[in-house]
Amino acid sequence: MARKLDDIFNECYERIRTGESLHSCLARYPEHRAELKSLLETAFDIGRRASYIHPRPEFRHWAQVRLQGAQHYASQQGQVAKPGHFSWWRQSWAVAVTAVLILMLTTGSTVAASSNAMPDQTLYPVKLATEEMRLAFAVTDTQKAEIHTQLAETRAAEVEVMASQGKTEHAAITAARLAKQLELANSAIAQAESAAGTAPTPTATPEPIKIEPLPPKPPEEVPAAVQPTTTEEQPPVTEEQPTTTEEQPPVTEEQPTTTEEQPPVTEEQPTTTEEQPPVTEEQPPVTEEQPPVTEEQPSTIEEPKTTPATTKYDKWAAERERLKNRLEESKSKTRAALENAKENASQENKHDWQRVIDAIKEKKKDNTHNWRD
Amino acid sequence: MLSEEYLVQQAVNGDQAAFTQLYNQNFDRIHRYIYVKVRSQAEAEDLTQDVFIKALESISYYKWRDLPFAAWLFKIAHNRVIDYVRKQSKEKRASLDEAYAKSTEDPIQMTEKNFEVYQLKAALEQLPGAQREVATLRFIGQLSINEVARTLGKSEGTVKALQFNATASLRKALQGKLDG
Repeated sequence: MARKLDDIFNECYERIRTGESLHSCLARYPEHRAELKSLLETAFDIGRRASYIHPRPEFRHWAQVRLQGAQHYASQQGQVAKPGHFSWWRQSWAVAVTAVLILMLTTGSTVAASSNAMPDQTLYPVKLATEEMRLAFAVTDTQKAEIHTQLAETRAAEVEVMASQGKTEHAAITAARLAKQLELANSAIAQAESAAGTAPTPTATPEPIKIEPLPPKPPEEVPAAVQPTTTEEQPPVTEEQPTTTEEQPPVTEEQPTTTEEQPPVTEEQPTTTEEQPPVTEEQPPVTEEQPPVTEEQPSTIEEPKTTPATTKYDKWAAERERLKNRLEESKSKTRAALENAKENASQENKHDWQRVIDAIKEKKKDNTHNWRD
Repeated sequence: MLSEEYLVQQAVNGDQAAFTQLYNQNFDRIHRYIYVKVRSQAEAEDLTQDVFIKALESISYYKWRDLPFAAWLFKIAHNRVIDYVRKQSKEKRASLDEAYAKSTEDPIQMTEKNFEVYQLKAALEQLPGAQREVATLRFIGQLSINEVARTLGKSEGTVKALQFNATASLRKALQGKLDG
């Protein structure tokens, strides 16, 4: 039976790729010589044209920086104990023992000195470790939200310093860290909010509700029913990709493990609400953000009386606004610092700074899913 | 030199240096693969980055199946491009000035190369999806027939037929430009 031409073509293509000459290969199949010759020339012409495509050096550099940032986070995530595997008290004990060890191995002055360390300094990892300890010792959701917000502010300040010194790589890595910290802070705020309960239904006096429950997410574009090619191979997917399964480790036979197991962003935050004592008293009420209740309401003794749930919720609402404002301010300052760095950068570096800015903007977009702006 | 399987295993176990090495080995070809499928340089760059970040996130789930690591990356890239293209309206094709070769070359030579890349992209765009995918993986991604077949979940015979038909169509589209 005569061999099919597509098979012969493939054989010749492979032979030439591995060093055989075109003429030698054509000589094997004289009956197809003319057809094969033009097809093979076309195939190698495609490869030749494609070989002209090279990543721009700036892009190559920037992509490497971004990968390093992502790897840094991956390693940080890996270092954090998983709440699902550790009970709270065991985790605390582990942290306490680690803390004692760190204190034994480092002097107090080292830890103190690290508190002002910048990302390009030797003591910076000590600073990050100290922050992890602070978080681990936080008991209530409100405390965690507060600490996460403070850490976001710290990261933002670091980005500002790196940007002002024109250190693109450190600024980029720290900006990525900031974006991550903003996510954590938003998750912590949402967690604390759910622990504080939902807004109580007013019974007697209509009380203006300052904070509405989270609005339902607007319906996203529904993934198209028809996938152009090979869609059947796509495994189920991650939470943050509304449109697709495409980015999942795709070859299903190679990926038996489903990606739902991928650590979610908020994994570091224990969700053990039963451990949360009533906390709002610990947070100083921010009076300027409290609604002017007394002015609007008759000065009767009964009116200010609210249920405990109402008080708790109101206190949390004010606290939430305060944390949100702080996060927003951090983002604004960071953006301004990066814009300024871009302005002052040389022409070839402007692109890199723009990418840092875009990365922050992108993350900012994602964060708005967590709470209303 | 370390075998790819060893490197991949190290990367799966969390070795960042191993992942970086795999990244360096595959960066250009993934970028090239994406570049011929999208309309602009910026899109190609963003998607290329996305592919490797996605790979980093998913590497711990990777199982070695005697297939080049690049095949897995191509698959991520393929799906990422489909996702992206689906979101775009079919408005414009890449303008010539968006195609690019190494910018350090002689401007005239660079323009010629950019034009050839542009023609290639235009020719590939005219192919049916399955032919385009096979041609891209085979001639640009440089995968073997077996690797393409396994990556796309098709038989080798089917891939050979698609490759043949794609080459014939590309020959027609690029006809007259092979010599110059």
